[in-house]
Amino acid sequence: MVQQVISMIVLPVIALVIAVFFLGLSRKITARIHRRHGPPLYQPLIDVVKLLTQKENISHGTIFDLGIVLSVAGGLATILFIPAGGLHPLSSSGDFLVVLYLMLLSPLGLALAAGASENPNASIGVSRKFILALGYEVPFLLAALAVMVHFRTTSLVEIVSLQRESLLNWSVFTLPLPALATFLVLPAMLSIRPFDFAGAPQEVASGPLVELGGKYLAFAAIQGALHTYIVLAIFVDLYLGGGANILTFFLKMLAVFFIGVCINGVMPRFRVKQALIYLWKWPAIIAFAGLVIVMWTSR
Amino acid sequence: MSGQTAFTLILPIAFGSAAVVYLSGKISAALRNFLAVFFAAVPLVLLTALYGYTGKIVYYDLSFLNQSLILRIDAFAWYFASAVALIDFLAIVFSLRYMEDKKQLDFYYFAMLLVNAGMLGIVLSGDLLSFFMFWEIMSWITYLLISYKGGKAVAAALKYMIMSIMGSCAMLLALGSLYSTCGTFDISGVAEGMSSATPGYRLFILLLMIFSFGIKNAIVPVHVWLPDAHSEAVSPFSAVLSGVLVRMGIYGFLLVMFVLVRWNAVLELRILGLLDFHLVFCWIGAITIVVPTFIALLQDDAKRLLAWHGIGQGGYMVLGIGLGTSMGIAGGVFHTLNHATYIALLFMVVGAVEYRTNGVRDLNELGGLAKKMPITFIGGLTGILGLIGVPLTNGFVSKWLIYKSLVMNERPLLAFAALIGTWGTILSVFKFLHHIFLGQLPQKYNNVKEAPFSMRFSIITLSLVIFLFGIFPGLPLTVISAMLDSFGIIPLNPTLFGVPSTLGELNTITILAAVLAMMVIGYAVFAWARKARRTDQFDSYGAGAYVPVNRYQYSVRFYERAYEVIGPYIRDRIDEFYIWFVEKAEGFFDTARKIYTGNVNSSTAYIVFLLAVLVILKMWGRF
Repeated sequence: MVQQVISMIVLPVIALVIAVFFLGLSRKITARIHRRHGPPLYQPLIDVVKLLTQKENISHGTIFDLGIVLSVAGGLATILFIPAGGLHPLSSSGDFLVVLYLMLLSPLGLALAAGASENPNASIGVSRKFILALGYEVPFLLAALAVMVHFRTTSLVEIVSLQRESLLNWSVFTLPLPALATFLVLPAMLSIRPFDFAGAPQEVASGPLVELGGKYLAFAAIQGALHTYIVLAIFVDLYLGGGANILTFFLKMLAVFFIGVCINGVMPRFRVKQALIYLWKWPAIIAFAGLVIVMWTSR
Repeated sequence: MSGQTAFTLILPIAFGSAAVVYLSGKISAALRNFLAVFFAAVPLVLLTALYGYTGKIVYYDLSFLNQSLILRIDAFAWYFASAVALIDFLAIVFSLRYMEDKKQLDFYYFAMLLVNAGMLGIVLSGDLLSFFMFWEIMSWITYLLISYKGGKAVAAALKYMIMSIMGSCAMLLALGSLYSTCGTFDISGVAEGMSSATPGYRLFILLLMIFSFGIKNAIVPVHVWLPDAHSEAVSPFSAVLSGVLVRMGIYGFLLVMFVLVRWNAVLELRILGLLDFHLVFCWIGAITIVVPTFIALLQDDAKRLLAWHGIGQGGYMVLGIGLGTSMGIAGGVFHTLNHATYIALLFMVVGAVEYRTNGVRDLNELGGLAKKMPITFIGGLTGILGLIGVPLTNGFVSKWLIYKSLVMNERPLLAFAALIGTWGTILSVFKFLHHIFLGQLPQKYNNVKEAPFSMRFSIITLSLVIFLFGIFPGLPLTVISAMLDSFGIIPLNPTLFGVPSTLGELNTITILAAVLAMMVIGYAVFAWARKARRTDQFDSYGAGAYVPVNRYQYSVRFYERAYEVIGPYIRDRIDEFYIWFVEKAEGFFDTARKIYTGNVNSSTAYIVFLLAVLVILKMWGRF
């Protein structure tokens, strides 16, 4: 019980640290790929502190305020339900299906804030974001169902513990097709290139973020970082065997993220329609094939 | 008051009040409105008193058939009756202001109360004859209520009525057949008789009944009446129609599959000796989820969008029930109640917006109304959260039960249909909320006021119910568990906050605590930072360009890029088929009219001709 309470407090802090570190790392790696020097690793931290302490803040009303708070709170609440290398404070109160739905709170908060910001660029961004989500959810859900049916459970803790025996028990080896499909849609889930059209700065003035400044922008940055953490944590739990402790868990997330950032660094931007067609073609076909194989072998 | 008296009183009061309210309207409008609300509340109060009561009364003896007409109440009947009474009461309260300047109000309240009484009769019937009687009362009054506005509404009502009559014919056929087989109309007697029936006969009865109830419940491919009917009906009645009336179909499914033909017998049935009957039923549910939900995405009329979701959500109920595990059925039945609350709420929200904007329900015409109608906005937000099934709303718990049972029974493709249906829902309901309440407020709505009290009352009540059942799902699930027990299915034995840990991991109170705690922390940081300055809606960033004042809003063709990809695939081909069929049939009838001229002379000629043929046949000795 005491341990549970401690992990409840520790996990969000660790997640925030990891998330902000990843943000800094991605800027550094991207800069190096682009042959720039890049900002220091702790630059995002400086940015967030600067934005939070900014003198001038502009609000567009109550929905705008609460939406942006919900976007961070939803992310933090979701983290408590995702096992992270031995820490799983609330996993007994909600399984993977609960996590899939809790994950909605954070984008929903941002979408409400964007809608309330009374700027069409924000609305365009939200609409693009939702279309993107519709695109990647098809392969992602097919693959996730394959994992759940394979392990005959919906509990993330059990899915992790069933992969623990040896390296070969990792789903990435036992379920290669769903793992591949999820990996292919990972950039879309993280909204990085080639799928960054929802917040494209040049086309739609950063989309949902267009009216955000000061503390609002700080919250949105934290929300984005938490979202990255959640997506990577789920990928590691589902396909890479979770982690024996928080350190191995972190290293696995880092490995996945590193590949993602490299893709981000060299790819151009998809158009919305291209992205949707891509997501519903190869990743979906691969995930579907994986699911059919799982259904076949579990008979 | 004893349970027996309360139970005896419900239906006489429900039917009697319709007449009383109609007559009182001739005296004064205020008296009529008061009585309508009062009498709509009575069944609700009586049913609250009847919680946990089971009983049976014979209310009429059909001595010539040696049968009696029976009413009965148990967990199954109580559950549906309460939902009906609640939604109808709130719809009538909502009507007070919504309908105030409309015509023929005596008739309107009469019909609303009668439809309520009819539905209560359906769920309380203890024999199939009463069931059919009340079913027909409900169906015919529904026709009158849909066509209330006249014009296009009459065409929509006619479409409904034709399909409804087809369903009634199928049901009548099944009832006649059951009576001749079992020799009784009593539900428990028929169930006993069916236990010795052949599988083929069971399948025959099931198919007829499912066709009939499926039309009412609008499952694909017999859903086509519903979008027109919902968008043309007045909003309070749309709430009743989509919330509870359509779900009488679900009550019927449960009645025929779990009471008349027991579930063990249903599980053994095969269609054409190949396909499991209950799996075919599940797949119908899955198709009913996916196709209508994505059609909803394309709608620009607020009520039409909701109507398509009404069809889609029915698919979840069918899917849960068809799977037939304790969790699946509990999920399906719970979803029926949840759907009633949030879809009624959303129709009322549209109604309130219509009321304040002089009948605008084109989503592209609205915008920014959250500033003017905050309570209505909260109602709309709660409604869409329930419809999506976001944690802490009731829709989440029922959907979770359905998903969980689908995954654990290794039906991933059905689970995928349910999950992706939810994504279609998210997209279209966000569009609904965004276009009405968010973005910039057009100047013509500068003087719009918040909805009046009676509308706010219904909206707030339903919002509270959505969160109440979302945080304490154990309340309704206990009744559902008792219902499962009476069906001969292992009861669910829920806890107050979810399901026992042996069945799965769900604890709504923990989720609530986690979300609230994080909201508090998040808000503390937000409040600690420098306070924000509120700006006008036109003080927004136009990417370096001038911001036009009146219509700086992105709403028309909101998901254009997705339409380009999916648009060609999600037309309602079934409706197109029916329209084609009707055109061809009209051509056929025109031809037929040339023979049947309506002229006495030609009729006589035909009779003489027929007699001549008969005589000739007789002479050949064929008779």
